[in-house]
Amino acid sequence: MTRQIRLGSVFNTLLKEYTIVIGIMVLVLITSIVEPRFMTSGNMINIMRQFGPLILVALGMTFVILAGFIDLSVTGQLFLVAVIVMKLIDPIGQIPAMLVGVAFGGLFGYFNSKVIIFSGALTQAEALFITYGLSTAYIGIGQMISNGKTMNMSIDLTSSYSMFQYVGLGFIGPFSISFVIFLVAIVILYFFQSKTYMGRSVMLTGGNKTAARIAGIPIYRSITIVYMICGIMTAIGAIVFMSRATTVTSAMSIGLETDVILAVVLGGTYLGGGRGSVLRTIIGALIVILISNCMNLLGITIFWQDITRGAILIIAIWLDAQKNN
Amino acid sequence: MKLVNKKVIGVLLVFVMVIALAGCGDKTENATEVPEVGTVEGTETNTGGATEEATIAFICADMGNPSQAYASSLFEAYAKDYNLKAVIFNAAGDAQLEASSVQQAIAQGVAAIYVNPNDINAILPALQEAKDAGIIVGMFSSDVPVGSEDLRDFFVGVDDNQAGVEAANAFIANFPNGAKIVEVGGQAGHDAQIKRHGAFEPVISNSNIEVLGSQACDQWSTDQALAIMDDFIVKYGDQIEGVFCHWDGGLTGVIQALDAAGMDTKGMFLVGIDGSQSGVQQVKDGTQDLTIGQDFLAMSKKSLELTRDVLDGKTVTAQNFIPLMLVTPETIDDFTFPEW
Repeated sequence: MTRQIRLGSVFNTLLKEYTIVIGIMVLVLITSIVEPRFMTSGNMINIMRQFGPLILVALGMTFVILAGFIDLSVTGQLFLVAVIVMKLIDPIGQIPAMLVGVAFGGLFGYFNSKVIIFSGALTQAEALFITYGLSTAYIGIGQMISNGKTMNMSIDLTSSYSMFQYVGLGFIGPFSISFVIFLVAIVILYFFQSKTYMGRSVMLTGGNKTAARIAGIPIYRSITIVYMICGIMTAIGAIVFMSRATTVTSAMSIGLETDVILAVVLGGTYLGGGRGSVLRTIIGALIVILISNCMNLLGITIFWQDITRGAILIIAIWLDAQKNN
Repeated sequence: MKLVNKKVIGVLLVFVMVIALAGCGDKTENATEVPEVGTVEGTETNTGGATEEATIAFICADMGNPSQAYASSLFEAYAKDYNLKAVIFNAAGDAQLEASSVQQAIAQGVAAIYVNPNDINAILPALQEAKDAGIIVGMFSSDVPVGSEDLRDFFVGVDDNQAGVEAANAFIANFPNGAKIVEVGGQAGHDAQIKRHGAFEPVISNSNIEVLGSQACDQWSTDQALAIMDDFIVKYGDQIEGVFCHWDGGLTGVIQALDAAGMDTKGMFLVGIDGSQSGVQQVKDGTQDLTIGQDFLAMSKKSLELTRDVLDGKTVTAQNFIPLMLVTPETIDDFTFPEW
């Protein structure tokens, strides 16, 4: 009897913990039966390419959420960094333009954190609205610089953009360049999160800000660092994005923040902060990519895809709340 | 820190109040101007025919869309040629914001508005308000739904239905013995996407061309078009002989996806709509076979010309379609390189 109760309890816990993963596995199974090409190497490469830009931004967002905040400005930051990089390729060259773009990402993150700290917005809800406002401003600046035009590498650049083509289309062994960038980033960020004092400070700040402050944790410095990491990762994501499409428009990143937050939450990082890991976000991002890949292969319309993504986000947050309650 | 915050908040509140008060003052002044400027009878006396400059507002659906940002710049640049002054509102892709932009333009006492609607049904109550205020209403690029024509004075734009038909006819002409193609749609639910797909589908389905798959995007986003094409390539592979993409920028993504998959774009038939820089360049490079172009310069000038005519008391044609440009490798030299 006790054994039966225990088994039932374990089953319930597993179901609660892995509802979405089970759901996605069912979707993957159906897709691979209905569309055998799903399991081909071509599709694996396809998934790897689509995985790159999303996971890079999601890794940065993971730190912001771990610290108990949120950053909706990734949409605007990504577009603005792409515009800046595009404008700099001709005058300073491809690699310096990429590096300056990454530096700008860090700068935008720094600016975001200072706005949040200065305005005393130390809750996630306040950060949400502030970063939403900042995103709008970044998009406006980007449009001002680009005159609202689509910037196309083959038209707007007089110099070579071969490095971007390499990032967008190239491979090192079996891995796409964006995947290699992700591998390097994950190693650095995992080390930072688990092995450094600042990484642990971020977790403590997200767990309980008051307790962290009393314990002598520099919470303002933690906030600055997480937003800077998010800005830098968004900038790297911007470079991968623009390398793939070879164009820059403000539409390039619309809706990105939803997918990024979805990836972090699906991965199992607690939306309230304090618990989670960059490694978990990998699973979350993979699920997000698989949802649209499977649905496109099954010929499901964009409306149903949007409904599914929205429903999955709600279920993930609900399960997250259940777990933490 | 808390004291500093309070001071900052206090200063900001005072600043907001000053702005709000100043804004209220302006609105009171403008509100009295509305009936004078707006009414058709009043326009001749108020604007003084061609001698007095009148203000017009372009309510842009989304400045993030390069074609609309370009159209906005054309209104600003050419308004003075018709003794008009243009102000631009950005609805940022939001139907509600677009309606309130119309109301704001009414409050500012403009003589005419041109609306590029995000949602042709949601904008109707705001157009009614503009008509009630006696303002000249022009629809730009997308017209009002059938039955609501009395809410606007004129429409200027291309026929998106015709663009869809032209695309279908291009495929039929290129593949007399039939072919298999895919369709990458524009922003799902957008008037242009609905019409381009709606007109393309019946013509192509009555031919011997098979549409293997059709998928719309969330936005007019190159990256989304690229991702959809990636998935089409996985699903249909070498069966794909042609691609119809609803906009040239999206076709740039399609070409990138085909390149990444090692497929020869020059051996395929690729059709886009817009006649934008990307499209024309791709036709020039030989990677795109046809772009069905919209002449925004002609559209903007025609809108301004019609407004001036209405202000001068002339009767104008209600529905004004600007001919589509068919840019192919053979005709490309007949067109000037677009500015957007």
